[in-house]
Amino acid sequence: MRTWKDRMRHSTRGLGFVALVLIVAAIFGALEPRFLSYVSLNGIARHMAANGLAALGLTFVVIVRKFDLSIAGVAAFCAMSMGALIAAGWPLWSVILAGLALGAVIGGISGIAISRFGLPDIVTTIAVGSIGTGLAFIYTGGRSIFQNFFTSGITDLNDAKLMGLGVSMWLLVAIYALAWFVLSRTRTGLAFYATGENPMAAHFSGIATRRFVALAYVLCAMCTVLAVLLILAESGTAETNKGANLMMPAYAGVFLGAAIMGGTSVIASFGGILLITMLLDGFALMGLPYYYSDGVVSLILLIGVLAFSDGARGTLEALRFLFWPQKPTKPTAKGSDA
Amino acid sequence: MTMTSTVKFAQSRPRGRKIARLTTDLWLVVAVIVVTLGIASQRPQLLDAVNIATVLKSFSIMVVMVLGLTWVIASGKIDVSFMQVAALSNMICAYALAQGWSWGGAIVVALLAGALVGLINGWLVASMRLPALIVTISTAGICASIAAALGKGTVIRIADPGPLEPLLQPALGGAVPMIVVPVLLIAAVAWFVQERLSFGRYIYALGQNEAAVRAVGVPVVKLTVILFVLSGVSSALAGILLASSLSSGQPMIGGPFLINGLTVVLLGGMMVRVGKPNILGTLTATLFIGVLFSGATLLGLPDFQRQIIQGGLLLTGLIVATIAASHHGARTAGQ
Repeated sequence: MRTWKDRMRHSTRGLGFVALVLIVAAIFGALEPRFLSYVSLNGIARHMAANGLAALGLTFVVIVRKFDLSIAGVAAFCAMSMGALIAAGWPLWSVILAGLALGAVIGGISGIAISRFGLPDIVTTIAVGSIGTGLAFIYTGGRSIFQNFFTSGITDLNDAKLMGLGVSMWLLVAIYALAWFVLSRTRTGLAFYATGENPMAAHFSGIATRRFVALAYVLCAMCTVLAVLLILAESGTAETNKGANLMMPAYAGVFLGAAIMGGTSVIASFGGILLITMLLDGFALMGLPYYYSDGVVSLILLIGVLAFSDGARGTLEALRFLFWPQKPTKPTAKGSDA
Repeated sequence: MTMTSTVKFAQSRPRGRKIARLTTDLWLVVAVIVVTLGIASQRPQLLDAVNIATVLKSFSIMVVMVLGLTWVIASGKIDVSFMQVAALSNMICAYALAQGWSWGGAIVVALLAGALVGLINGWLVASMRLPALIVTISTAGICASIAAALGKGTVIRIADPGPLEPLLQPALGGAVPMIVVPVLLIAAVAWFVQERLSFGRYIYALGQNEAAVRAVGVPVVKLTVILFVLSGVSSALAGILLASSLSSGQPMIGGPFLINGLTVVLLGGMMVRVGKPNILGTLTATLFIGVLFSGATLLGLPDFQRQIIQGGLLLTGLIVATIAASHHGARTAGQ
């Protein structure tokens, strides 16, 4: 299916991405030597685990060409629900399962409303997110929950290490590997891409497109729950604003990765979120005030999406044609990863 | 047999249609009255002059903020940067005043900032063909950061209340602030533009089928840019009114307005032109939400319950709109 040339071009983009990550690391390392210290890199890995899980969930939704703006609301409600269960003395594994189930239900509601009943995705998820943000207050009226947190073992998710890497990083790698396998190597993954590329064609090819759209939202909400679980593990308390900072990095990671790699995919999201987390942590380390972080992420997202957009590519091709009159290469098919 | 049934059908049709028209036109107005009476029967304070003045003041500010957004959504795009544009213009206003500028200068700069953000949004969406959500989510983040940076993360106080302040004070029997008059005038002009000028036709045509509108020769890029600029300017104006109303620049003021604004526009889209955001619907829905929230406060509901109610309202509005649109589609397809 994929030609040798396609493969080459893909790996060139991948190499370019690695080079970009190395350059960013080198710049931060030069400006602030502490950036490359063990503590700092460990912090990046931990933050990347949380951001990366949220971005992975969003990846599924973006592949079926939808948006999900309920990430913050889902994260807040599920964080408080899991906190309340921990405080009630439930064992950790059952808390996580309950949180995942709750996330799946909320994602299912959005997903079915959008795929089965045809509600507009953006506004529906904003509404669901708003309800989630409100529901986060029903347990304590807005006070944080911290009872039983240290005895429940949840903080191990943040502190425990396995072969020098934090448990959260292993979790991230394992889930990304699973998602990569499903999306790139199975019929199910192909069905996700087909649903996004052309729902009509996918439908007539015998793919239950509505089911895959709904499934994407369910997976997104479940990944969001895992992401906020790691945030709870890091802070040791459940607060209603936990997860408010998950959405922007997730969007930036997915779209920046897609822009650089030439299509939305698990690998692109991984690279994107690595870059975004490095930038966020780097700027924080250099003492940039907290209120700049959203702006920086937004600016990077905008520049990334713009630089790799069709419009910009057209201009670039035209320039190249001017200076180097040769037949320009055909643009790669989007989502060629599948 | 067929003949009579056709005749009968033709006769019953206009009346049924008229009633249906009236219901779709006026149900939200009825809802406003019912909610007002319902809450007033429990909490008579709702109809106190002071309370009415408060409701009308926030009504005016909200209407100004979402006038442009109404058309952006009607044209099939989305703008989620409007509340942060308001926050930015709010902070620019306060910052400029703190630097010793006059109110006139501060207002002009704040409006220009709103227009600039709208221009960037419009250019990126229309010319560079980037997804509107990604573009406006990014500009929203940038605006919020600049707003916070202007005050170094905190509030800027405004000493001089400025020329807009008297407009926001209760007048006309202590119940109606004067700001309502210019706001309603602007809305009337917008209504005229939307209903009577080809510009308004193009907005809705754009929402229906952008390719067709482009093929007919309408300058789609220019039109989209104008719509985003209008949205930016109108939310910037709301930010200025907020600066005057609160006597301060509040960097974090934007957040709650996102869901408020979208609820108002989409709920308003259930009225008059069902399934399509429109100015009259936005006005009614803003009043509805205003009364509902004032009532909720008087009834002692905490903030988060209002948020849940609002999310539920937004969802209900969406469901009704989707059902209405599908019925409409089925009818036109059947004919």
